[in-house]
Amino acid sequence: MPMAHTATDQAGTGGLTATEHRLANGLRVVLSEDHLTPVAAVCLWYDVGSRHEVKGRTGLAHLFEHLMFQGSGQVKGNGHFELVQGAGGSLNGTTSFERTNYFETMPAHQLELALWLEADRMGSLLAALDDESMENQRDVVKNERRQRYDNVPYGTAFEKLTALAYPEGHPYHHTPIGSMADLDAATLEDARAFFRTYYAPNNAVLSVVGDIDPEQTLAWVEKYFGSIASHDGKPAPRDGSLPDTIGEQLREVVEEEVPARALMAAYRLPHDGTRACDAADLALTVLGGGESSRLYNRLVRRDRTAVAAGFGLLRLAGAPSLGWLDVKTSGDVEVPVIEAAIDEELARFAEEGPTAEEMERAQAQLEREWLDRLGTVAGRADELCRFAVLFGDPQLALTAVQRVLEVTPEEVQEVAKARLRPDNRAVLVYEPVSPEAAEDADPPEDPEAEATVEAGDENEEAAK
Amino acid sequence: MTELATMQFHPQPQAGEAKPWAFPAPTRGALGNGLTVLRCHRPGQQVVAVEVLLDAPLEAEPADYEGVATIMARAFSEGTDKHSAEEFAAELERCGATLDAHADHPGVRLSLEVPASRLAKALGLLADALRAPAFADSEVERLVRNRLDEIPHELANPSRRAAKELSRQLFPATSRMSRPRQGTEETVEKIDAAAVRAFYDRHVRPATATAVVVGDLTGIDLDALLGETLGAWTGSTAEPRPVPPVTADDTGRVIIVDRPGAVQTQLLIGRVGADRHDRVWPAQVLGTYCLGGTLTSRLDRVLREEKGYTYGVRAFGQVLRSAPDGTGASMLAISGSVDTPNTGPALDDLWKVLRTLAEGGLTDAERDVAVQNLVGVAPLKYETAAAVASTLADQVEQHLPDDYQATLYRQLAATGTVEATAAAVSAFPVDRLVTVLVGDAAQIKAPVEALGIGEVTVVSAE
Repeated sequence: MPMAHTATDQAGTGGLTATEHRLANGLRVVLSEDHLTPVAAVCLWYDVGSRHEVKGRTGLAHLFEHLMFQGSGQVKGNGHFELVQGAGGSLNGTTSFERTNYFETMPAHQLELALWLEADRMGSLLAALDDESMENQRDVVKNERRQRYDNVPYGTAFEKLTALAYPEGHPYHHTPIGSMADLDAATLEDARAFFRTYYAPNNAVLSVVGDIDPEQTLAWVEKYFGSIASHDGKPAPRDGSLPDTIGEQLREVVEEEVPARALMAAYRLPHDGTRACDAADLALTVLGGGESSRLYNRLVRRDRTAVAAGFGLLRLAGAPSLGWLDVKTSGDVEVPVIEAAIDEELARFAEEGPTAEEMERAQAQLEREWLDRLGTVAGRADELCRFAVLFGDPQLALTAVQRVLEVTPEEVQEVAKARLRPDNRAVLVYEPVSPEAAEDADPPEDPEAEATVEAGDENEEAAK
Repeated sequence: MTELATMQFHPQPQAGEAKPWAFPAPTRGALGNGLTVLRCHRPGQQVVAVEVLLDAPLEAEPADYEGVATIMARAFSEGTDKHSAEEFAAELERCGATLDAHADHPGVRLSLEVPASRLAKALGLLADALRAPAFADSEVERLVRNRLDEIPHELANPSRRAAKELSRQLFPATSRMSRPRQGTEETVEKIDAAAVRAFYDRHVRPATATAVVVGDLTGIDLDALLGETLGAWTGSTAEPRPVPPVTADDTGRVIIVDRPGAVQTQLLIGRVGADRHDRVWPAQVLGTYCLGGTLTSRLDRVLREEKGYTYGVRAFGQVLRSAPDGTGASMLAISGSVDTPNTGPALDDLWKVLRTLAEGGLTDAERDVAVQNLVGVAPLKYETAAAVASTLADQVEQHLPDDYQATLYRQLAATGTVEATAAAVSAFPVDRLVTVLVGDAAQIKAPVEALGIGEVTVVSAE
């Protein structure tokens, strides 16, 4: 077989291993065996995301992702979904700032079908792409935008804060869902050009994980993907580099019909893949992860000024990561009260650093999250692709948890001191405005959660 | 206009030989204190899942204190005889554990997930919470205030607002099911530590509880571990509570919950269906999947993939409460959201899909694909310990045998097209559906009235 066999075998978390291969057309392949359950996950990451989009065409990467499910050379209409589901598999695709991924989890004996399907659309999507599917999926994506962002309280917070945290013209200034105007403006020719530019074997990583025979799997990969031509027309993404800190506090006040005041903020943090980013993850966990964090204890338990308070980390490799703060206020509490408490806690943390017990808790939490991610074949396949695409080495996925456990309290304090400062954040404040009929006398009742649809998430394309 | 592909095409591959897989069978036993225990070893699953079921159903709540089961469930993780609330949360997180608790119609459920290496310590904390919860005045007061703060957030969420309205419409005012699971502002604000303690004393005891433990249990002496932890929980014996009958009014009608300016209309179209013990269940699962289980089912084939009215509409059946004698009930529903201007046309198409199904039935091909998916995805769906534990706990909560899920897969494979059609048609009869629309009444009322799918009333969102 015409492939450079660069197998590296090293045991990572829980004795997991992975081997790496490359086809002559540049497609990178990562395989990981696990025979505990008769299932196999196929994951394909294309190195293209919303950061590659140009002005006036936001949302194109995600709209294009939808078009990948509308048929290709040998697959009719919704055949991709029909064939995978009919084989007892599940599938989806998602688009983020930095990549687009497609994945199938199959009963092990149906693995070859998933490889055939992925190869068919990688090599021949344009044979099937037409106006009808373009118009239809444009409407679907606009409804996705309405459902997940425009029609829910605080739904556009992520979009607003991102636009604030990354300056105008920066590739991460807009989010993957895109704007309605740009979705309307996208043409079939835009989609075709997007495919020709970014959907090439040498711009992708394929991982296959689970109950597989590696030799047989590689032979199938070669058979189905091997004849797809590589091409090198991909322009480099616009530069995403920024200074380590923002240097001032950016701020926007939103007056909207929302149920309560809210304070959200995004802190500029180190790039994913660095030890400092792992340290930042631990700092955010100590400060705002779970129900024993400093902010939860302060705002929700002691001051009782907030309904919920937490920190999250949006890891990014091509631009600074974001530390994501979200606080919804309790009753009539005003935002400055919350903000003062947060600044006090962050300053104290920068001064003291984490206690030994806080480090132990945060590391235990992040360790469990990693065990969860690597505990399914689909999660493992996705992580292998992530480290291969973003950092050039899939093996790093298997040792990620060790790296988090090696971080010292001093490193956590250092990153907190340097980054978790008021002059390094974008702040979004929500002030509710009430509709005129707000004095309705009916006592509000509690809505219920029973109508959530089980199958919903699994079976739909989504923009992450 | 097509483009010639340069790749070499191959015919669609055939499946290899399927490897056997069966839904895991648990081992059932009991501790000295009467606690029922189901355990299941799942090699490789490093994160162990523990579910505890308490026979404390919502209908057991005193009418003036509805929401007390929810507050009690939350208060379990707010301190014990050994730890304050803050210490308890810290100790749990030190194990890398998560502990969730919630109250629903059948009872209160606690779900613990923890790496196997720290199971012993986390089980000890869980046992403390059940055996000796602190229920401190100040913590309960905080949980009550917090719960009151959550209510406006839920009211502002279209799908939750729709669910609340559907329950109010379907069930008689005397039924607990007609009212919010987590109580109303009026009832929640009355709850205090004494009310929580009283509910606990009356309904929480090991003799009527069940624990389910699933994960990689290699090297763990689970009997000894359970004995030291959950085995130390004591309580009186009690008979299981009888399950009250469920009645519902599914007269076809439309209720618009007015949300002026909404860019989409949230749909929730439902009625009450049979207990999961009913023989129709497997056929209903199959028929419902064909109607609206996925993007290629009948509803989305039209509403999404042909018309683009929605990001996705789903049909589903969900157990509300199951009784040992099969007299319980489930919720059958269709849910999704459509853009405001297309609300009328989307509902028109939805009804056409239902009528076409009733007239022409499902095809054999549809039935085959549905069976292959529902049965085939089982090994994927149950890869994690948490998924297995949750289904085993559902079975216990619904008074079903421990091999129910395994049997269900065999029954699905044996269900024919005619049975699946009949089940889907009787699950979703066009004239017996209560339609809740959360959206802009000024824009959607007239087009919906024109459809003739039932009398239309408008209620305020607040």
